[in-house]
Amino acid sequence: MSKTQYAKMKFYCDENLCIDCNGCVVACKEAHEVPVGVNRRKVVTVNEGIVGKEISVSMACMHCSDAPCQQVCPVDCFYIRADGIVLHDKDKCIGCGYCLFACPFGAPQFPQDGAFGTKGKMDKCTMCAGGPEETNSHEEFEKYGQNRISEGKVPMCASMCSTKALLVGDADEVALVKTYRATAKGKGIATEPMGW
Amino acid sequence: MTNHLGDMQNSKAIIIFGANPASNHPIAMQHILKAKEQNGAKIIVIDPRYTKTAAKSDVYCRIRTGTDIAFLYGMIRLIRENGWYDESFIRDRVYGMEDIFNECEEYTPEHVEDVTGCSKELLIQATAAFAQADPGALIWNQGWTQHTIGSSNTRLGSILQLTLGNMGKTGGGCNILRGHDNVQGSTDLGCLADTLPGYYGLKESSWKYFSKQWNVDYEWLKGRFKSKEMMESKGFSLGLWIHGVLEKENEKNNADTPLKALVCIGNGISTITQTHKVKEALDKLDLVVFIDPYVNDAAVITTRDNNMFLLPAASQVETEGTVVNTARTAQWRSKVVEPLYEARPDHEILFDFAKRMGFYEQYVAGMGKGKNFNWPDDATNEIARSLKTIGFQGRTAERIRKHTDNWHLFDTVSLKGKGAVEKEYYGLPWPCWTDKHPGSPVLYNINLPVSQGGMGFRNRFGTEREGVSLLSGDGSAPVGSKVDGGYAEITSENIEELSGITLSAEEKAKVEGKNWKTDDSGILVDTALKAGLAPYGNARARTIVWNFIDHIPKHREPLHSFRPDLVSRYPAVADKKNHYRTNVRYASEQNAQKWTEDYPINIVSGRVVEHMGTGTETRASKYLSELSGEMYGEVHPNLGAKLGIRDNEMMWVYGTGEGKIKIKCKYSQRVDENSVFLPQNFSGVWQGESLESRYPKGTAPHSFGESSNQVTSYGYDQQTSCPETKCSLVRLEKA
Repeated sequence: MSKTQYAKMKFYCDENLCIDCNGCVVACKEAHEVPVGVNRRKVVTVNEGIVGKEISVSMACMHCSDAPCQQVCPVDCFYIRADGIVLHDKDKCIGCGYCLFACPFGAPQFPQDGAFGTKGKMDKCTMCAGGPEETNSHEEFEKYGQNRISEGKVPMCASMCSTKALLVGDADEVALVKTYRATAKGKGIATEPMGW
Repeated sequence: MTNHLGDMQNSKAIIIFGANPASNHPIAMQHILKAKEQNGAKIIVIDPRYTKTAAKSDVYCRIRTGTDIAFLYGMIRLIRENGWYDESFIRDRVYGMEDIFNECEEYTPEHVEDVTGCSKELLIQATAAFAQADPGALIWNQGWTQHTIGSSNTRLGSILQLTLGNMGKTGGGCNILRGHDNVQGSTDLGCLADTLPGYYGLKESSWKYFSKQWNVDYEWLKGRFKSKEMMESKGFSLGLWIHGVLEKENEKNNADTPLKALVCIGNGISTITQTHKVKEALDKLDLVVFIDPYVNDAAVITTRDNNMFLLPAASQVETEGTVVNTARTAQWRSKVVEPLYEARPDHEILFDFAKRMGFYEQYVAGMGKGKNFNWPDDATNEIARSLKTIGFQGRTAERIRKHTDNWHLFDTVSLKGKGAVEKEYYGLPWPCWTDKHPGSPVLYNINLPVSQGGMGFRNRFGTEREGVSLLSGDGSAPVGSKVDGGYAEITSENIEELSGITLSAEEKAKVEGKNWKTDDSGILVDTALKAGLAPYGNARARTIVWNFIDHIPKHREPLHSFRPDLVSRYPAVADKKNHYRTNVRYASEQNAQKWTEDYPINIVSGRVVEHMGTGTETRASKYLSELSGEMYGEVHPNLGAKLGIRDNEMMWVYGTGEGKIKIKCKYSQRVDENSVFLPQNFSGVWQGESLESRYPKGTAPHSFGESSNQVTSYGYDQQTSCPETKCSLVRLEKA
């Protein structure tokens, strides 16, 4: 018998569709009551104002399969769930900032700033899957925000995306949506549209 | 809009003038991008600024502000030369196209390049892409309307669509994206200075019609006004009221009195031009009342210390009723929570006013149940019954609730329903002629029977002019019509002849002397629909508006033109007396001085995606303030270098009035080297001084900024009096 295949959760942002409206950013902050200054998600615009060259893309923790943050963490606070979501334990985190150096996307955020490295506990995108505390408990919400995945809901950012540029889900499903879009491209509007 | 948001997906080309849906209508942008991706639509953006919308375009044309008409005539000239126009559509459904074709003659690609600054190659590319696509949709916004010639911009845009036969077509049309929630609804309800609800106008017959709908005596209604003449004359408009307070010469237009009191409900006053004049006017009034969920920024701008009242109004989630979206679609909005603290819904506040002023009984009489009415259902039904001109009859509270409750049963592209709402269109887009009618998702579509949402153009301006028929040609009636060609609007006189249906004596007595928009019995509309006739007739769209200053749209340079050398060829209209009760300057303002000598830089104004209107509500959000918490001006690096202002330094902006603002310079290549972009979403800083201390305790927003309208120039639309927020000149200096 072959090994059981688990879903691998991934984000995908289509730069042809992202319009830099920041809907995802505000949705995330409102949902998880993130402090001002901590940005689990950001929209990055490249070549702003250059005719024909401007693109925007929404970025957060990309939940890497071989997450560099996990590999460099001196206190081993990271753990990767069976579905690929990369989470961390704030009780173990010492705020050293190694993960920020390792991360290719600039995802880890720190609530404090100071000359002597008093960064506070690291905070980052949980793909709306909370943390190690009891699921949907008050403690979990306080430290990590909502746990929408446990309720079968789409993460807040993607559900609020105004142009459906930002997709999230099992990598195979995300690939299917992208395949559907590529196949349907230029073929006319479907009479019974599916999502996009 | 003539079509609807989802319908834009069916377009093969979308041309966007003076609009930035990526920032101002992100959800509408979804439909535009779907058209681009799935339908292969070309997106063409014409804008002085390379916006986030332009970043998604196939063709981008940068033009100088206020030169859209020259660009459009350049397009129409190319369309005529290349034979891209829709000959049969023009022959059967348009009046006066020859005049347009004559006028476009002078706008050669070279001349358009000179006037607009957009290269002739791009003009040709944009025109070819749009004219050869079938169907093509046109989108515009405040970038067209807020001009001295805004009414001409919108007319010529519609004429472009007529030329190409893009009207009354799925995927075509003129799609105006309204700026706020329920703007279409408030326009339909007559929140305007020149008309009663439903665009009925202000004539005696309209007042008499409404006194009947409202169940009040016409003589009593007339007695509320100083004179019958004032009752029937246009009021001060939102742009012009300040001149009714400040300038003595306007008193004689206003029954020999200045304006003395202002009641402002849910309006951000600093989005209107010349905020420094607004402050003066607010300071001078005897009484000022603001009714808002948040503190209106104008209440902080004024320095008056008495007779100003802030009444806390409930927000949209604390009250209930219908809202109408940009596509004429109604939706029921339910109450989510009871109003917090002492806030009360708007209607309760107004009822209390009416009670204390002694006309509460008459105020609620229209609902027909005395004081025991059921709010808001009875009011919704009163609206449905009264607004016959735009076909509200079928939009009863019960039907709108049903649509909203069955939201999931409607298709998002066609708006068509399934199951319990089969064959109906979501939100019953008007006209929805009867309580069986499905609504009309696409206006002027003759490929559907009237009973299923089809119609021709409205017969509104007589049946002929100078010997030429204004009714549409043979073969251009909606499917299933008893009359094959054009016909006049339905009245009790012509109904039997046109429909071929004989009315009973009883029916005849009921409709005696009535027409389709005054007949409460519904017999005229029902009979017309049975015969496949649109109640408002079937006429030609007119390109000539003989009661306007410009019979056909004409390019006129802005009052404060960046190109003074073109002013003599394209001058502003003569000064206008008693324009919405105000004596408005046009030519005299344009020639008052050599404006570009002291004010050499053009303004481009607009909104940022994070904020709404004046930002009164959105700047109270800490997260939105974090993303966009500071007023700025976008300056091209080359212009900054020339002026000696560095990126992120503070600069003073001086307007042609007396206003000035101190804002941050943000280097950006979105604007050209002659322009500065100013977002209009900030308030709470006045000429460099913070006004935070003036907010009542605990009500200040998280972010403040100078209001850009302190430096916008004098100027109002020559027909509608909409303020000119777009074409202004300024001077920049390092602070």
